[in-house]
This record gives sequence, C-alpha cells and structure tokens, in this order.
Amino acid sequence: MSSRSDRFLTRIFLLQALTVLIFIALLGKLASLQFGRAQAFQERATFNRIRVVRPEGERGVVYDRDGRMLVRNTAAFEIALIPADLPDDPDFVVSQQKRRVLYEELTTLINQALWEVSPPDIEFEDDGKAVPSRRTPPPLTFGINEPPSPSVMSVDEIDQLVLQREAGSAFQPVVVAENLPRDVALRVIEESYRLPGVVLQLQPRREYPTGAKTAEIIGYTGPIPQETMQSYLERGYNADAWVGWSGLEFVYEDYLRGKPGRKVIEVDVKGREQAVLGEAIPPEPGKNLILSLDMELQEAMFQALLNGVNSWRSESAVAVAMDTRTGYILGMVSLPTYDNNIFADGITAAEYASIAEARGEPLINHAISGIYPPGSTFKMVPAAAGLQEGVVTPRTRLNAPGIIYLPNRNFPDNPLLAQPFVCWIYKEGGYHGDVNLKEALAQSCDIYFYKLGGGWYVTEFEGLGAPTLAEYARLFGYGEPTGIDLPAESAGLVPDARWKRIAKGERWVTGDTYNMSIGQGDVLATPLQVTLMTAAVANDGLLFRPQIVAAITDSEGHLVERREPSLIRELPIESKWLDVVREGMWMAVNWEYGTAPKAALPDIVVAGKTGTAEFYDPDIPRDSRGNLPTHAWFTAFAPYEDPEIAVTVFVYNGGEGSAVAAPITRDILRSYFDIKARDEAAGSRTLLERMEALQP
Amino acid sequence: MRRYSWRRFDWFLLLAVLILSSYGVVMIASAVQGDPELVDYPRRQMFYIVAGVALMIAVAAFDYNLLASFTWPIYLAMLALLALVGVVGKTIFGAQSWIDFFGLFPIQPSELAKVVLALVLGKFLADRQERMDDPATLLGGALIVAPILTLVFLEPDLGGAVVLAVEAAFIFFAAGLYYRYIFAIGAAALALSPLFWNLLNETQRTRLRIFVDPAADPDSYFNVEQALVSVGSGGLLGKGYGQGTQSQLHFLRVRHTDFIFSVIAEELGFVGATILLLLLLFILWRLWRIAVEAPNVFGRLIVVAVAAIVLFQSIVTVGMNMALLPVTGLPLPFVSYGGNALLSLMLMLGLVQSVAMRRKARG
Repeated sequence: MSSRSDRFLTRIFLLQALTVLIFIALLGKLASLQFGRAQAFQERATFNRIRVVRPEGERGVVYDRDGRMLVRNTAAFEIALIPADLPDDPDFVVSQQKRRVLYEELTTLINQALWEVSPPDIEFEDDGKAVPSRRTPPPLTFGINEPPSPSVMSVDEIDQLVLQREAGSAFQPVVVAENLPRDVALRVIEESYRLPGVVLQLQPRREYPTGAKTAEIIGYTGPIPQETMQSYLERGYNADAWVGWSGLEFVYEDYLRGKPGRKVIEVDVKGREQAVLGEAIPPEPGKNLILSLDMELQEAMFQALLNGVNSWRSESAVAVAMDTRTGYILGMVSLPTYDNNIFADGITAAEYASIAEARGEPLINHAISGIYPPGSTFKMVPAAAGLQEGVVTPRTRLNAPGIIYLPNRNFPDNPLLAQPFVCWIYKEGGYHGDVNLKEALAQSCDIYFYKLGGGWYVTEFEGLGAPTLAEYARLFGYGEPTGIDLPAESAGLVPDARWKRIAKGERWVTGDTYNMSIGQGDVLATPLQVTLMTAAVANDGLLFRPQIVAAITDSEGHLVERREPSLIRELPIESKWLDVVREGMWMAVNWEYGTAPKAALPDIVVAGKTGTAEFYDPDIPRDSRGNLPTHAWFTAFAPYEDPEIAVTVFVYNGGEGSAVAAPITRDILRSYFDIKARDEAAGSRTLLERMEALQP
Repeated sequence: MRRYSWRRFDWFLLLAVLILSSYGVVMIASAVQGDPELVDYPRRQMFYIVAGVALMIAVAAFDYNLLASFTWPIYLAMLALLALVGVVGKTIFGAQSWIDFFGLFPIQPSELAKVVLALVLGKFLADRQERMDDPATLLGGALIVAPILTLVFLEPDLGGAVVLAVEAAFIFFAAGLYYRYIFAIGAAALALSPLFWNLLNETQRTRLRIFVDPAADPDSYFNVEQALVSVGSGGLLGKGYGQGTQSQLHFLRVRHTDFIFSVIAEELGFVGATILLLLLLFILWRLWRIAVEAPNVFGRLIVVAVAAIVLFQSIVTVGMNMALLPVTGLPLPFVSYGGNALLSLMLMLGLVQSVAMRRKARG
C-alpha cells in the first residue's frame, strides 16, 4: 500500500514538474518574442497597416482654338468580386456550389439590366421594302463608331479567375463586367445587396470626342510600359498609373498629369482605408491644353481627304494646314486613322497588333513620320536657289525638249550608253520648248529644272550644282525634323555625295543632281516639311518651327503659358526672288497652261505647286506603259496677295498631283475661307482671344 | 460522520477560474469590437460562465463515487451517442445540420467523451491497482480508449481525438503503469505513425505540413505569421486595450477563439500574457494538489484527467499562437469564446471539487 502510494506521489510529482517546465518554456518563448524581437515585429505590424498612397490628380483636358473639347475625363463602371468575401465552406465542393449559384445570379442580373436599359438592335427582315442598312466601315479608318461595349464574363470564366486570384491575393477585386452604362452599374449594385463580395468600381477613363479625326494628334494613354517603368517610378508615378503613349498625350505628359498628392493611411487586412494619419496633401489637377487646331477645319480636311482618297484606293494620305503668318498648325489629318477611344478602355495585344500592322499603318502619323519623294513640289527650292545664286534670272530661258541625254561618263562618245532624262510631258508626246522660271514652275517643266540644278554640258550652262542645291534644301528645312510638338517625327533625307558614298558606295554623278532637282532620286520629305517650305515662300522667307499647342491653362482655365512657334531661320533669299517663285505658283493655278487649274477658287486667289512623285514599291506594279507608280502631291498657299494659310495634300500612290491632290486642296481652302467669313461676320473670337480679353 | 465538507471545496480554484474567464470575456470584447455579427459574444460568454459555475457547484455537491457503479452503462451510452452523431447524424441530417440538432444540448458529445473517458478508464485502473504489471490491465485500458477515440476521430474531430489520447496517457501514467509498458506504447505509436498519417484528411495534413515547412502554403501560413507578429509586436506592456493594430484591423483571424492569446499578448503585452499564463499555472497547481490529496485512486485519476486536459489545451493553443505548434482549432481553456468548451470544463471542475470536498486533511 505504502509503496503504491509512493509511486502515485512520484508520478504526480513528475507531472507537476512537467507542468512547471512547460510553463517556463512558454514564458521563455514569450519573452524572446516580446523583448528580443519586439522591434522587428512592431515594424512588421506597421508595415501591415500603414500605406502611403499617392493619388493622381485629374489629368488635364484639351481644347481646340475655339474651345471645343477634344479630350475629356469620364468614368468607366465596373462590377467586381472580392474573392475573400465570397461564400466559403470547408468542403471545397459545397463552397464551389454556393459560389457558382452566386455567379449565376450576378451575371443574370447584369445581363438583364443591360437588356432593359438598352435593348439590342434587332434588324427586321421585312418584305424587301426597306433594305436593312448594312454599314460598311470606311476602309481608311479603324475601330470607329464603336462605343465601348459592355462585356460580362461567363460563370466559368469568373470561377476560374476567382480561384486563381484567391491563391495569391484574395482581397484584390476580380472584374466581372466592365464598360457598363452608369444606370446599369448602379442598378446591379442596388439589387445585389444579398450577394456577398460584389462591389462597384469606378475606373477613370479618357474620352476623345473627336476620335479618329484627331487620333494622330491627340494620341492616347496606356499603362506604363514595363521597359520604362523605372524612369516613371523615379518621377513619382504609381506603378498602375496610366501615362501618355503617343501624340500630345505623350509630349505634354508632364503638363497634363498634374501633381500627385500624398496620404498616409491605415488599412485593414482587406486593404480598406480605415483612417488617414497626419495631414494629407491633396493631388493637384493637371494643366489643360489649348490647341491652334480648328476642329471645324480639321473635320472638313478629314472629309475632303477621305472623299478624295476613297475614289483612288490609296492606302494612306495626308493633309496639313498651317498658318503662314504664325507657324501654328490649323489642321493635320493622316489616313488611315484609328479611333483612339479604343485605347481608353485598354486593348489586348492582339487588338493592338491588328491595328498597328494593318495596311497603311494607321497608328503612324504620316504627316510627320512618313517620308516620301516630294517630287515637283520640291522645285521651289532650286527655283529660289537659282535666282538667289544668280544662276538664272526671271528672264533666263532654257530650252526644254521632251527628252535630253547625259553622255555616259566612261564612254562619252557612245550615244547608245547615254542616259535619257525625260519630262513628264514627253510621256504624253509633248515638250515645253524655251521656258523661263515662272513658266517652268507653272508647267512643272522637268527639263528646265534638270538644267537649273545640274547644268547642261551642250550649252556649257552651269547649274546650281549638287552641294548648293543640298544647302538650299536644308535651308528650307529638309533633312531635319521640324521640331513640331508631336512625337516620332522623321528627318527625311537630303542626299549628297558623302551620303551616297556611305549609303550606296557609289560616286555622285550629274544624273543624281538632275533627279534631286525635281524632288526625285533619293530626296525624301515629310508632308509637314513641304508645308513649311510653302509657308516660307508665302511669308517672304520665315521658316517656322510649327506648333500645335497654342497655350497652357490651369484646371480653372487661367492662362499659364502661351506657346508661340519659334523661328527656325529667316531664309537668306531676297524678297524679289521669292516674289518670282510665288508668281510661278500663281501661274500653276491661274495661268491657262498651268498644271493646277483644279485648285482654283472663284473668290480667293490660290497659288500652288503640283507634284507627281514616282516611287518604287515591290507590292505596286508598274502601269501598262511600264511607268512607276506615283504619289500625288499638292502644296498651296492663299490668298495670293496676302497669304495666311498653307495647305499640303499628299496621297500615297494617288496618281497625278494635279488630278487628285489639287481638288482636295481646293476643298480644304474652300472650307477654311468659308469658316473664316462666317466667323468674321458673326464677330466670333477664338478661345485665346476671349481669354486675353478677360485679362487686365 | 460527514464524509465531505464545503470547507474543503477549493475556493481558490474557483476564484482563479472566475478571474481567468472574466479576463477572457474582457479580451473577447476587444477582439470582436466593431464586428456587428459578433457584438453579442462577450455577453453570451458571461452567461456561459454563470451557467458553468452553477453546473460546477451542482456537480460538486454530488458524490463522484456514486458514478463508479455506473461507469459501464455511461460508457455504452457515450458510444451510442458518438455513433449517432458520427454515422447516423451524418446520413440523416447531412454533414452540417447535426450541429443544429445537437445544438439543443449544451455540451457536444465529443466534449462529453472526455468526462466519460476519465470516469471509465479511472474506474477500471483504480480497480486494478494491484495488477498494474499485468499486460491485461494495459490491454483492457486500451480497449476502453480505442472505440471512443475512433468514434471522435471519425466525427471528424482530430483535435478532440488527440486530447482524448493525451488524457488517456496521463491517466495511465498517473495510475502507475510500468515504465516498460510506457516505452512499448511509445515505440508502437512511432511505428504506427505512417498509418496514422494516412488516416488524416487533407486539411489536417496541410496543417502539419505547414507546421514543418511554413512556406509551403503562404495563404494558410498567413494566420500563423500574423499571430506571431501580433504577439511579438506587443512588447512589454502592449499597445493598449482595444488598440492592437493586428487585432483591430483584422490581420489576426478568428481572434475570439483560436488566437485570443495573440490578442492578449498584443494589447496587454508581456505583462498581460504572463498574468494569463500564471493564472493557468495556478489552476494547474491547485488541480495537482487535489490529485495528491484525493481520498481514493478513482478520484485521483479523475483529477489527473482534468489537469491533463487543461494543461494540454493550454500548451497547444499558446504554442500555436507563438508558432511553436500546428494550428489545431483547440480553445484556450476558460479564455476562448465558446459555451461548449467552457461548460464541459466547468463540469469537469465540478467533479474535481467533488473529489476535493472528500479529501482528508493532510497529515
């Protein structure tokens, strides 16, 4: 009995000792956590709950010269699910069943609301009386007239996404339906109060009311590209911010963006803001842009170009209008175009690729990025240079048969090896005869300009020579970007001996000078450069750095900064010589033998120059007579007496400049002067004029 | 001669339990603060405490020795009840609704099983005190434990089954089981552990895996990690009552039950947590004292069983809150929210007091 009792006591003593030891161990662990590592854990607890958020200010908007809105901010409505708030059950199958019922209810609710708010268009096939209007999309525009269509996921898609998201970040919402009309979104939220985890999200969204008509100028925004993320983060951007990707949205990013605020908040485990700690700095909204662009003219240009081009099956075309007195861009259209609103809602890689790689490259602004042989529009350069350098006078006549031959350098006595140079008129069986400079411009006489540029060995006439021609081409702005406030501008190319040696490994020959003199060969220019040249001829030698943004205002509309075009240079060409060139251009339109009678207006005197520039494209065959395809050009200014606008129209593979580009230019000038007359009659003022009138 | 006396009722034990469970109510109030669904919980817990103390005193007044004659019918009734819950209950009421059905009872069958095991195994070993060297004693005891353990495990209630196993082990040990048997059982358990692993369901295996390799499942480990951060960030004096950022911003989950210790450690710091541990230690000290002074072996083994349960559940929950042990879902005795666990503990303390009131004066 006693030994048994002792054994009990021993055993219970052992258990007591065990108890005490365990508690000492627990206390030891507690102490090591709460003393030894308290600071580290406190930091982690702080990291858990404290967030520094940098709310972006509202992005600035864009107006045209008359105050029409070209960019505004709206919101896209989304319905999302928070995975962590969805019904849950330890049994996976039960949990899935419950959730799928919820998804089913939610999607039905959304689809029902969508249907009731805007029933889908149903085209009735009636008995042949009314033919159902089948809209064919314009061939030169992409993604137009498609308002962001609401998209609702299927139950299976939701199921899959939620399961994926749950594994990582269960508090991050899964977007179930996007681009919902406001009424639909609010109604769904109201009626889904029974469904746990359903939330409404507002996504700030850029809206471009003028869409495709201004897409190349305005551009679009998008999420920060991975490869430039670091530099944006250094500039204080949030990683999920949207930034300008192209056009003015890109160039004026720093103005449009505004200043992000700063707020230290305490969040709960779901990341929901519980309290603001300290003082919050509110974000500052971005600045607004006022453009020199006249949207009314832009629309007219768009329409005129579209009409003109559609009948010629061209794959791209450009129209540029510039104020010759100031250097401001009044309108700029590049076809094919795209609706930049499709970028506002986010775009998939496949959608992007289908637009970027479409025929004619819609995403490219051909007015500033496309480089083409300028053809005869280039002739103003040798004309002005020839007069200024004294190579010719206005009275100098050069003989222009339909064709001339340059003897082969190595076998000068073998006429079979001589290189023929023809005038465009030779192909029609004619020739220009003895012409002076004005007539040569008016008739676009190629032979005259071959001789003026490269000389003529038979009469020992000394031409300008390639170096001087290149020098004047550069003076007129060819061969370097104009510096317009738009991204991705091309420099074009002014070829010279050095360039040819490096690029082609060949010597420069007189034939090269001949080709260059008529804007062929290796000369390449953007339509904007051609416009700049015409403007400089019109305004007596001022080469402007063109500008689209005329002013910057703060979010309340106060003028912050005026942006005026600067002068690239004043051309070292005497006014009397430019007078002669202008007269030549006047004759092209108004003289009975001129090339551009189709550009004439009854009430306004127009001066201009046609261009029909041959180009080589492996995809475009020569015509039946073996001629290369041609781009149609026309560049003009008006009114002749007191120029104020320069317009250039370019139609890729458009054929004859006189037949295709000149009428489009005429239509554009018609619209410009009609708008001007109407505005003057009404006494209306531009937005800037109105703003300046308000200031003391 | 009166064989019992209210003077020998352990008032200190009752006082410690009251202080500890009140401490629990106060901390539950902090843990559920701001949650409209749980706002009622502190009041409900208070009600359970009052009901539990009444139950304890009622049971204490009852002579535990009277139960000795009925251990076998009680045992069989218990098995029947567990079978009803585990097998019949599932098929008739579905996996979920048996809880609703048995919600009518204040104490769930698996909790009751702990009491019944103490009585049956205690009685069996008390009767065979002279034959502790007999393998038949060991075998008989094992045969008593096995069915009840299996049924609770199948319920499925892994935590409950583990508690029952530990309880049985303590009873065997205190009853004086020979060391050679203890080693033999230990070796057998080790040998059978792969089989045991196969019996676990996926959730339970995941918990064990996470315990061994925390990085295996970041989502599940989140709870354990946040508990650790809560405890550690509490420091010496804590962040203040109702001021714990981890608890109040819900980084800590199931705060009012599994992780109530973390709430205490975060908001009241080392001081608050130590007070809690010392109160538990005090209660255990009183229990062991009653075990030593018990009038007979049957009573002693009942008290040992209760001490085993309180000790084991304390270690497991406190250890879990400090990432020392896997998450089991066991409540912290007297502190975690839950009427079922609390009433069952109070019932056991009632038996303990019944033993205490019948002990002889030491001498």
